[in-house]
Amino acid sequence: MGRHNVSRRSFLMGSAMISGAGLVRAANITQRPWPQGRDDVTCAIIGYGPQGRELASTLARVPGASLTAICDTYDPMLLRARRDVPEASRHTDYREVLDNPDIQTVLIATPTHLHKDIAIDALQAGKNVYCEAPMASGIEDAKAMARAARDASNQIFQVGQIYRSNPQHRSVYQFMRSGAIGRPAMGRGQWHSKESWRRTSPNADRVRALNWRLDPEVSLGLIGEACLLQMDVAYWVLGELPTAVHGFGQIMAWPDGREVPDTVQAIVEFPSGLHMMFDATLASSYDEAYEVYFGTDSTIIFRDRGKAWMFKEVDAPMLGWEVYARRDKFYKETGIALLANATQLDAQNQDPTEDDPNVETPLWYALQEFMDNHAFGPYPPAADWARGLEATSIAVAANKAITQRTRIDVDPAWYSLD
Amino acid sequence: MQSVRLALQAMATRFELLMYGEDPVTLRAAGEEALSEIGLLEKQLSFYDTSSEISRINREAASGPVRVPARVFQLLQTAQGLSQSTLGAFDITIGPLMRCWGFVRGQGAWPSEDDLVAARNLTGMSLVVLNESQRSVEFKRPGVAIDLGAIGKGFAIEEAAEILRQCAITSALLHGGTSSIAAIGTPPDEPDGWPVGIADPQDHAKTVATVRLRDESFSVSATWGKAFRYDDGLWGHVIDPRSGLPVKGAALAAVAGPSASCCDALSTGILILDPHAARNVLDGCSDVRSLTGYVTEGEVTYYSNGIDHIRHGQT
Repeated sequence: MGRHNVSRRSFLMGSAMISGAGLVRAANITQRPWPQGRDDVTCAIIGYGPQGRELASTLARVPGASLTAICDTYDPMLLRARRDVPEASRHTDYREVLDNPDIQTVLIATPTHLHKDIAIDALQAGKNVYCEAPMASGIEDAKAMARAARDASNQIFQVGQIYRSNPQHRSVYQFMRSGAIGRPAMGRGQWHSKESWRRTSPNADRVRALNWRLDPEVSLGLIGEACLLQMDVAYWVLGELPTAVHGFGQIMAWPDGREVPDTVQAIVEFPSGLHMMFDATLASSYDEAYEVYFGTDSTIIFRDRGKAWMFKEVDAPMLGWEVYARRDKFYKETGIALLANATQLDAQNQDPTEDDPNVETPLWYALQEFMDNHAFGPYPPAADWARGLEATSIAVAANKAITQRTRIDVDPAWYSLD
Repeated sequence: MQSVRLALQAMATRFELLMYGEDPVTLRAAGEEALSEIGLLEKQLSFYDTSSEISRINREAASGPVRVPARVFQLLQTAQGLSQSTLGAFDITIGPLMRCWGFVRGQGAWPSEDDLVAARNLTGMSLVVLNESQRSVEFKRPGVAIDLGAIGKGFAIEEAAEILRQCAITSALLHGGTSSIAAIGTPPDEPDGWPVGIADPQDHAKTVATVRLRDESFSVSATWGKAFRYDDGLWGHVIDPRSGLPVKGAALAAVAGPSASCCDALSTGILILDPHAARNVLDGCSDVRSLTGYVTEGEVTYYSNGIDHIRHGQT
């Protein structure tokens, strides 16, 4: 304990020093109270598959959110909705939700290619919109949604690029942008899972609809549906948008007649000359998902829902505070844990060398930001229509590169509405 | 007829699923959806994951009511009901006692009287207030904690099995760590149901019973595995939440019935109760079958209710 107390004081000094240098943005580690006297925001979820259910269970913990309606076109999903949120009304036609003046906000978690019509209709009906990522499955759809969102400037339109709202990512973003890794040289990201991506139903018509991710006509493939959030973090923390993507895709694990590759690699080019490689597979779960950025002074890895560690080169300049920071072993390497809120933890007598028990999931922070926008906004969210358009453009380019096994230049015009 | 076998590491155990059907692609798709439900429930129910619903309840419920998702609330109500029907032997507030006995991360050690009294004061479902209209949980005292370890696995299996049924799977066996099982239909050429062997608590190479499961769930609890020595003998890691003391002598409780979560909780509770009380509890559950074993002077005495005990040497 004695050693710990000394460390804690020193750590606090070190952390204060970083804060002074503008490297660490303090995270919100406790729930921000919903403004007194303000009614909860009445929400509807459209699309009650796995992501819709995740939204529902997270919304239940977010101050100010009241889930009053759930819409899905498939009966078993509505049965789950009745079980999960018995007080919410259930609908099979999303227009019923949009026509209900008592519903202020819709959260869209349908298959990606169905987002556009629902989002635009919702904005036209005066609703605020949270749209899961990818925002759309094609650039024209994304642009139509972006235009509708831009024109509805008194309404909130947030895209589910959730790491943009995550305190831990924001903290490490500032850390990286301040040059702590030296000169960035390259990056690598992976998303590994062992699963077939197939869905089934006793209803034959449903099988095709449920398997939209394996439909090459509408799917953005693994790179768009699985890696998009990681790619979003990449160009955010690197501070530049990709100019081209090289892609490769194979069917290695599930030769069941599918056309959408189950194993992909994409190399993304940035204007600075930096290249970043992403790989994704449904064949192996080894090492799950992470992104790693290699710089001349240090390497930073993001993993486990936004945790981050820094691995310093021996010739890198001392930052000071890292002497006291928590270290974790990764085989022969030692990572310095990058915590978003070490000073606040210390102030609350929580040990900054332990994981913070108050940390919520990245989705919770994204939904909290969305709800806060109802109380204090509307202002452009961190993941607004522009970020959604950028991410969709990159996903479309990467998926095209993969399916055509070629190099696709990203047309800068894709990124903007002008 | 084709078979597909899937597995998942979750809830500190290995779940395994075996399915039979005509199309392996369909079987796998259904199985993956079912297992992903277990993963989802692990995230909600984990005692150790700081962002789980249970962790949030344990952090905040002593300061005021904590609203929880409907499914978690229903599970807590089920746990409360099972606590009553097992005369308090099954108890999800046993965490402080388990910590006090050093079972949470250690091998176990006899606690001081003061520590034991303090832990007992934090144990008991009467300290947990469930408000149905608010769907909220509140603890009457700081330090109370709930741990669904003895029911969560069964609940996850039950929910996963329901997804398999929704996907029209008609022949499947799903187990978590071999101790919680749900059976759908029967395997091919086994019209009596899925045969499940119950290991002899004194010799794992032998089985003391084979239970046949058909659209039924099953759970077995036993004192084997973890134990520590103190004074006059070997003490298991099963603590009686009413006395705060380890149960000595109970060896095996196997329960088959319609609900995997109830089987899980009953087998835990039955292991703690004396033979007479256990029989009363089981008599109160008309839809379950059971086999219980009690150690006396090194010998195990079995009580059978619908699950026949095989005597060694018997074929």
